[in-house]
Amino acid sequence: MSPVIEAEGLGISFRRNRARNQRLRDVVRGRTKSRKGEFWALRDISFQVGAGEAVGLVGGNGQGKSTLLKLIAGVLLPDEGRLKVHGGVAPLIEVTGGFVGDLTARDNIWLTAGLHGLGRRQIAARFDEIVDFAEVGDFLDTPFRHFSSGMKVRLGFSVVTTLDEPIVLVDEVLAVGDRAFREKCYGRMNELLSGGRTLFLVSHNEADLRRFCTRGLYLKAGSLVGDGPLEDALTTYRADVGRRRKKRKAAAAQDPDTGEQRPVEQRPGEQQPGEQRSLEQQPGAQRPVEQRPGEQRPGEPAG
Amino acid sequence: MVALVEPTTRLGTLWQSRRILQLLISRDLKVKYASSVLGYVWTILDPLMMAFVYWFVFSVLMERTIGEAPYIVFLLCAMLPWQWTNGVVRGSMRALSKDAKLVRSTSLPREIWVLRTVGSKFVEFLFAIPVLAVFAVFTGAQLHWQVVYFPLAAGIQAVLLTGAGLALAPLATLYGDVPRLMRIVLRLLFYFSPILYGINDIATRFDKDVLGVPIADIYAFVNPLAGIFDLYRMAFFPDQWVGWSAVLFSAVFAVVLLLIGIRVFRRFEGLVLKEI
Repeated sequence: MSPVIEAEGLGISFRRNRARNQRLRDVVRGRTKSRKGEFWALRDISFQVGAGEAVGLVGGNGQGKSTLLKLIAGVLLPDEGRLKVHGGVAPLIEVTGGFVGDLTARDNIWLTAGLHGLGRRQIAARFDEIVDFAEVGDFLDTPFRHFSSGMKVRLGFSVVTTLDEPIVLVDEVLAVGDRAFREKCYGRMNELLSGGRTLFLVSHNEADLRRFCTRGLYLKAGSLVGDGPLEDALTTYRADVGRRRKKRKAAAAQDPDTGEQRPVEQRPGEQQPGEQRSLEQQPGAQRPVEQRPGEQRPGEPAG
Repeated sequence: MVALVEPTTRLGTLWQSRRILQLLISRDLKVKYASSVLGYVWTILDPLMMAFVYWFVFSVLMERTIGEAPYIVFLLCAMLPWQWTNGVVRGSMRALSKDAKLVRSTSLPREIWVLRTVGSKFVEFLFAIPVLAVFAVFTGAQLHWQVVYFPLAAGIQAVLLTGAGLALAPLATLYGDVPRLMRIVLRLLFYFSPILYGINDIATRFDKDVLGVPIADIYAFVNPLAGIFDLYRMAFFPDQWVGWSAVLFSAVFAVVLLLIGIRVFRRFEGLVLKEI
């Protein structure tokens, strides 16, 4: 079976701070590589994925899962290594990104489907199906900005999953939407999979991962530390998380505090040495807990 | 994979995406005309007002010693293509950040966001031409056969603007100084281009040679817009014609700028994608 995705020594780096003007100076001086504050969100990633495989990406927040997905989607470019993707990609990443608030749902479907490469006739043929699946039939002539967030995501999911692309990338979209819609999404995903599509799934939901994926890639601090059956990846991940928790407890027990109850300012172990944060992480997702609710510094006014 | 393909195949993917380009341009027009009551009026109001002010100052208040009569037609011949230039330079600097979500969620060849700016501003330029036609009829300006050069002038200008846009789009996204700098450059360029006056006015005012080259020639060889605007103007004012050398220079400059633009765009593309 020839691989549809080949990654070899793949790496991408980000800057910790977004000091743009500083960099203009660098460019003038001809110095654009290897600056301070640069970190590798992904490095030395090598793997191959065959046609029809369903791969789950496992790992904590900010470990590079979404970044890898974006590289495969071609919306980020690697700084080193090689990545070959044979065939088109249907990216379920920022699914609502292509929609324009001022235009109606109808116009938006035409535009977004067109932007993803569907022809006029293809869109016309699938239009009703897209509308039905997203359950927005009554709001076709409503400007998109009046849609609820759930409706927006439904429409986005519906449009992107009607694409014929052989590779489907899914980043946490299954987490949104109500239960009924999630069931429909599962159905649609199963259809895609049985149609021989290659699937990449990012999720923190183990049930979702188990439902679709057979193979797991475990990303930790931007490196690929596990590649094998999904269960193995999940086991390693769980073991890692458990070890970290234990370490944290041990550290807390050793705290040579003089009886004073200190609020947890930063959980040791959460931010391992060498553990990197990625720019694309959700706000607050991995931020160390500075103060737990209910815990207060002595002397601090309540509320 | 976009990142690894050779330039030729990249051009190929761009060509395959031409339908999407069309779609984007028509979306721009749709949004523009759907979101404002006056719609089309806005397209023509700006050049019209500009032309009116300059016409009033130079031909009513002062005794006009530059250009040719009817001055309003003379002005508009270069003012409309100038609006195109101005629109593309300003628009391309926002091309990648304005629709950042779209840029991030589709793997289209990214040059398309610049081409889309060039294209939709061109359509607006075309839409404004009826204004020129109306004034030409009212003032009795004579249309000459040289109007056939219009596609040539527009073609050279399109290449020039694409090159400039490709270079500016990533740079302006990454460095906040670039848009500020370009605002000044645009203002200077407006007065240094043959819009309010013709290349001939330079020749008659500064009838001198520098190192054996007439100043008017140097002028035309420094600003690539000179030859282009001169070519546009021929449709109504064939006497303004200064010869093919200026046009040839514009064409060469345009191609060189396009090649530079392509290189700059490629170089900074990855960086821009991380930043938007």
